[in-house]
Amino acid sequence: MKKQFLFFIMATALLTFLPGCKKDTKYSTLIITGQNNHKWKESSVILKQILDETGLFSSEIMITPEKGGNMNKFNPNFSKYKLVVLDYNGDSWSDNTNAEFLKYVKDGGGVVIYHAADNSFPEWKEYNEIIGLGGWGNRTEKNGPYIYLKGNDLVYDSTAGVAGSHGKKSEYIITNRIVDHPITKGLPVRWLHGSDELYSQLRGPGKNMQILATAFSDSIVGVGTMRNEPLLMIITYGKGRIFHTAMGDDYDGAGPAMQCAGFITTLQRGAEWAVTGNVTQIVPFDFPSAAGVVLRPDYKEITLEEAMANIGNYDIGKSTKYLSCIQSHIRNLAGSEQGLRDIEKMMDKILVHNKATVAAKKLLLRELSWMGSDYSIPAIKKLVSNAELKDEAEYALARLQPTN
Amino acid sequence: MSPKTTRRDFVKRAASALTAVITIPQIIPSSALGMGKRIAPSDRIVMGAIGMGYQGTYNMRDFLKLKDAVQFVAVCDVDANHLAKAKNTVDLANKNNDCATYGDYREFFVKEKLDAVMLAIPDHWHGIIYTAASNSKINVYGEKPICRTIHDGQAIVKSVKKNNIIWQTGSWQRSEPNFHRGAELVINGRIGKIKYIEVGLPDGNKGIGTPPIMQVPPELNWDMWLGPALKVPYRGVTHWDWRWILDYSGGSMTDWAGHHIDIANWGAGLEHTGPVEIKGTGVYPVEGIFNVPVEYDFLCRYANGIEMRVANESRIPLGMGTTWYGELGWVHVDRGNVITASNPKILTEVIGENEIHLYKSDNHWQNFVDSVRSGKPTIAPVEVAYRAISVALLGEIAITTGQTIKWDPDKEEIIGNPRASRMLSRPYRQPWSIPIV
Repeated sequence: MKKQFLFFIMATALLTFLPGCKKDTKYSTLIITGQNNHKWKESSVILKQILDETGLFSSEIMITPEKGGNMNKFNPNFSKYKLVVLDYNGDSWSDNTNAEFLKYVKDGGGVVIYHAADNSFPEWKEYNEIIGLGGWGNRTEKNGPYIYLKGNDLVYDSTAGVAGSHGKKSEYIITNRIVDHPITKGLPVRWLHGSDELYSQLRGPGKNMQILATAFSDSIVGVGTMRNEPLLMIITYGKGRIFHTAMGDDYDGAGPAMQCAGFITTLQRGAEWAVTGNVTQIVPFDFPSAAGVVLRPDYKEITLEEAMANIGNYDIGKSTKYLSCIQSHIRNLAGSEQGLRDIEKMMDKILVHNKATVAAKKLLLRELSWMGSDYSIPAIKKLVSNAELKDEAEYALARLQPTN
Repeated sequence: MSPKTTRRDFVKRAASALTAVITIPQIIPSSALGMGKRIAPSDRIVMGAIGMGYQGTYNMRDFLKLKDAVQFVAVCDVDANHLAKAKNTVDLANKNNDCATYGDYREFFVKEKLDAVMLAIPDHWHGIIYTAASNSKINVYGEKPICRTIHDGQAIVKSVKKNNIIWQTGSWQRSEPNFHRGAELVINGRIGKIKYIEVGLPDGNKGIGTPPIMQVPPELNWDMWLGPALKVPYRGVTHWDWRWILDYSGGSMTDWAGHHIDIANWGAGLEHTGPVEIKGTGVYPVEGIFNVPVEYDFLCRYANGIEMRVANESRIPLGMGTTWYGELGWVHVDRGNVITASNPKILTEVIGENEIHLYKSDNHWQNFVDSVRSGKPTIAPVEVAYRAISVALLGEIAITTGQTIKWDPDKEEIIGNPRASRMLSRPYRQPWSIPIV
């Protein structure tokens, strides 16, 4: 197979304007797993990768005894951690561990509840207050009302009945309901999530809980409750902050539900908020919108260097993500002269590179037409004599040299 | 005898039957009969149409509903199927087979002598064809948004004014009672001094990925469809879906500017000016051929202190439509005859004799016909349409650059930002250029 040519054009100056979220002291994070009706061996590793990728967290995975095992052996030292992530749906912990966990949260520890962790511990009252909403495990009205949105109105529905259901996996639109919260600020209001279960009919005390995002459960993407079902929640418990994502199912192996850039980003932002009450991460260029699902097969965001190294192979028929990445960086520069110059120089190198595709050069010429400078003019002028690039080169020159 | 003469003879016969006065040997449009712009009410207006896709068909239907008001004699489109369908519609209405067809607007303007033309073409063509129509001194019913770029808009306004033609923009909401009523209440101070306006426009939708390169269908002149836009291979994306590609449109943000931003301007008295500062953000598709923002949210500040926020409907509390917020409350208008207010009592208030009475029209297409006959301005004149779309085009520039844009609404220039200023135009592919006004 022909190896794709990479364009090593990274300028040293590039590093100066990359979003700075690498930290010297990372938030020590404990991911608890070991029992789950899902593929926890996969999901816990993916969760670790997603969190550590931000540069904010240093996570370790702790595996509980297996089902029916001696849970007295499970005694994490919660106080060592800033964040506890629960990828656990299994046997009750020991009374001592429960008490330590509650103390950790009450004292201000951050918690992330991931997917089926909201199935766990139906009888543990305090845990249900921490998760806000739960399902399955014989949860009924005794665990609290069904909580959902009808239209835009929050409903506490105390109708008797079991808690928890989902239809078959589908892509569905998430609607962010609170748009000025640190976790959701700057995100699209509507975004298409990778194929996932749509948790519905969750019940719970819902105390000190805010619903950040919902999805409408009709009979196509859900079980047809015709309600806006809560999928991203934040809860406070004592001094602790809890981020609860009901998304990310990996029952049949990790796939679009966890690869979804929206799932990944909201988890990363929710985790940071749970630790600090704030979010410093920049919204990634590939956060999905209503336009379509965006998957990250390796759970990583493309960097500008990667986009620049790959844009020379551009073929719109395959993917437009590298272009989208570059355009997003340009917007984020908000007119910074130095930043734009640095990107322009990288673009110019591709423009004159004999291995870069015509398609790549065409779209770089369109970008340079507005954000370029005199610096690019000689390189662009040379392309006027290239029959395939003449129109785009003239287009760029018409803007860069308006008097000519 | 050329088909053209036959067609005109038909008009002559039709006109004669009604008036029994026109006996000149060759029928020419009424506007050329030494009456300047004025056309006797008894005479039908001789019309042509360019762009017979969805909107063009819709407009023609609305013109044909006006009994004996207009007579279409020629249609033009780069898609032979659209053209044949349009000719069929016209011939059925005229009960003959005489409707002329053109694949090139230049030939259309040279050969046809018309009172008026309906133009419903993709936005990237507006600069050229709108000015060509004006320069041919033909009255125009032209679709909104009237331009893809601010420089195109400036050329169109200049040409319409210089040639002194009647211009109606397809901003038909102006001829709907609720929009008129809302604007009239607001401009007469029923909610006090206006402070803030929110405009909700459609959310973006799911993309289609990037379809493969295809053979251009025999009925389509693809190069002519592209016209001044950069040449790209045909991927089956033409009719309707051009709206989601930046080379041809700014998406629903610019598409709907000619509706709800236009209405916002009407009520707030901002029809003849523009914002002084614009800033905002947008969300773009990551993958696929569609590349217009699917979400957008920008804020404009006007010299008089009014602020206008324009965003996709999901970001706006009242969703689609226009909401004016004044010192005393708010008024909201939207399609479906929606008009609501913070104080419902004002909705029944009578506008007094000495108050401002906004231009009233009950039928947008009839209004155009009336103006062509009377020579009086229409309800949606060209410079007003230009000011409405300018707001969205400046929003687009603010979003693309990530910068706060400063705009001089009198000189119609971006202040102190050469990069942003470059986006006031989209250079044309050779050999296209805006006809000299």
